[in-house]
Amino acid sequence: MAITHKYTSLKSRDDKVVTQMIISGAVVIVGMIFGVLMLASQGGLIELSAASFYQFLTIHGTAMIGSAALATSAIMWYFLSHYVDLSKKIFNLNLVLFLIGVVMTIIGIFSFEYASAWTFLYPLPALSGGAWGTTGALLYLGGMLVLGVGFLLLYIDTGRAIIKKYGSLGKGLGWDVISGKKAEKDAPPTTVVASTMVTIVNISALTAGATVLIVNMISVVNPAFTFNPLLAKNLTYAFGHIFANATIYMAVIAVYEILSRYTGRPWKANKPFLIAWTMSTLFTMIVYPHHLLMDSVMPKWILILGQILSYANGLPVLVITAYGALMIVYKSGIKWDMASSLIFLSMFGWTAGVVPALVDSAIVVNHVMHNTKWVPGHFHMYMGLGVIAMMFGFMYFLAKNDSQLKTNGLDKFAFILYTLSMFGVCVSFLVSGAISTPRRFATHLPEWMGPAQVGAVTGIFVVIGILIFALHFVRYIFGRNKTSINSTTQETEVS
Amino acid sequence: MVQTVAWVVSLVFILAIAVVFGFVAIKSTQKQDYEPIVKKWYKIRKVYGTFVVILMIVVMVYTLRELPFNQPVYSEGNEPVIVDVEAFQFGWKISEKEFDVGQSVEFHVTTADATHGFGIYDEEMNLIAQTQAMPEYTNVVYITFDEPGTYKILCLEYCGLAHHVMMDQIVVK
Ligand SMILES: [Cu+2]
Repeated sequence: MAITHKYTSLKSRDDKVVTQMIISGAVVIVGMIFGVLMLASQGGLIELSAASFYQFLTIHGTAMIGSAALATSAIMWYFLSHYVDLSKKIFNLNLVLFLIGVVMTIIGIFSFEYASAWTFLYPLPALSGGAWGTTGALLYLGGMLVLGVGFLLLYIDTGRAIIKKYGSLGKGLGWDVISGKKAEKDAPPTTVVASTMVTIVNISALTAGATVLIVNMISVVNPAFTFNPLLAKNLTYAFGHIFANATIYMAVIAVYEILSRYTGRPWKANKPFLIAWTMSTLFTMIVYPHHLLMDSVMPKWILILGQILSYANGLPVLVITAYGALMIVYKSGIKWDMASSLIFLSMFGWTAGVVPALVDSAIVVNHVMHNTKWVPGHFHMYMGLGVIAMMFGFMYFLAKNDSQLKTNGLDKFAFILYTLSMFGVCVSFLVSGAISTPRRFATHLPEWMGPAQVGAVTGIFVVIGILIFALHFVRYIFGRNKTSINSTTQETEVS
Repeated sequence: MVQTVAWVVSLVFILAIAVVFGFVAIKSTQKQDYEPIVKKWYKIRKVYGTFVVILMIVVMVYTLRELPFNQPVYSEGNEPVIVDVEAFQFGWKISEKEFDVGQSVEFHVTTADATHGFGIYDEEMNLIAQTQAMPEYTNVVYITFDEPGTYKILCLEYCGLAHHVMMDQIVVK
């Protein structure tokens, strides 16, 4: 395949990718239901025991990040495989390890009452106060490790493939274009640039994560083993922040590919674009200390840098990517359908979510908003309105690309329902944060309950909206299977 | 209050972004060549980009002037009260719980077991200061209470099943 800015025609079937999207979609829906139950409990609408609440908290965080990563890595894989040769075996192996990991965490949480939240801050997994035992902790932490290894293998493979085709990861990021050795027109495609960034940051994140998971597992088995808690915390957030963040950088590939196809306008990787992605690569890896702004024992200069770099990390999004999306759509005569609408919405969600994130990364603000519901407020905005919208936008795109299935009024209704209700969930979290409601509390004081109730109700509408999106995808899969029985020629024709 | 400023600022910017996206969505139905759009809007991007960078630098300088973990300079004869705080599953050991208005207080916070969060809430349940309680380390909160009243101490880092009931209180006279 030649390296060209012309968007290659996409193969119309990729069962591996479709399967992975179905599984991710199902996990997202289950995760959302746990989210609604937690908000309902905090709002006093239902009664949950503290043990159940914190088990739900643990599964919700793990499921949402896990499924977002699984879905967006499928998006990245789908588009990247048109430019470089990726290993199908490793793609499948990742899915298998993901499923094994998920089953292990589920058994750990629900059969052995493990509930450390996804943050599992050392030495919490070993100190349950009588709530869970060694088996539960090992199942959960081991499950996370298995899952992490799968993703690590996947990114090692994408790295290998990019290096093979472009020479190095630096060239995948277009450094030879930035330095002027190569012309702008020969820059790697946007998909390759984004994939290179994700490869670099996620290999780092997963290595940090594996380290801290193993540390926790040893301490669970042998309490005499100790580790530096501050270092453990750094590793935990280096893992969690980067890995969660990378889901957006994988999903944005769908934005590049889909919006440029819909508008007939190329999204070129010019110099500012390449510089922005190099900035994102660097900053995404080193801004995680903004999670530690409330640890005054951290070296002060690192914390100040934490704030400065967090601001700097907002720049590529605000000035290049979001701006690029707006430019490409502006007066393009774009045909709005479910895919393009969700993709456009996702860029709004991402950009809007950057705002409360930047506000909170100021140390003086963080001092009174850290670990309040303000924090989930901002990431529900760019995960919920951003990544999930990208994910379902991609699903509608797939369905349209390789089936005759039409969207209907119900889909449009779901789009509006989803947009408004997800925005409602985010606002309810932000309002909670503004009135100092702590996050991760099984129950709320009466004055904190109002926003939680709003969040729970709007959350139900979010689930309904997502179920309608999923319904379209289910119809597509069944419709598609029928065609594959009827005409086997179609498959060979396009592969 | 910091929280109100944070909320209003965020809301204004989020709505502004919504307006821009809405505007582009409305204009999207018209059709024009991309070339002139690129030319024009790249120029505008330079201005916009410069504006964003300057805005961020201003905000950064403004917000970094005074940091909560800078130890204040105490005037002669005004020694701070040092309060030892030890968190445990699921409560607080606080060496002193009564203070006077205007007195400088330093909370030296650590934990006996897992990580906890030390959050100070005023009478209206607004969070006014916090730090993390981490094993083997001591984080310090510097505070001078301006208002008399009963202040609550809440755990702000998830620490196990009774995390949400891990509360205590201090009194300022
Ligand atoms: Cu706690």
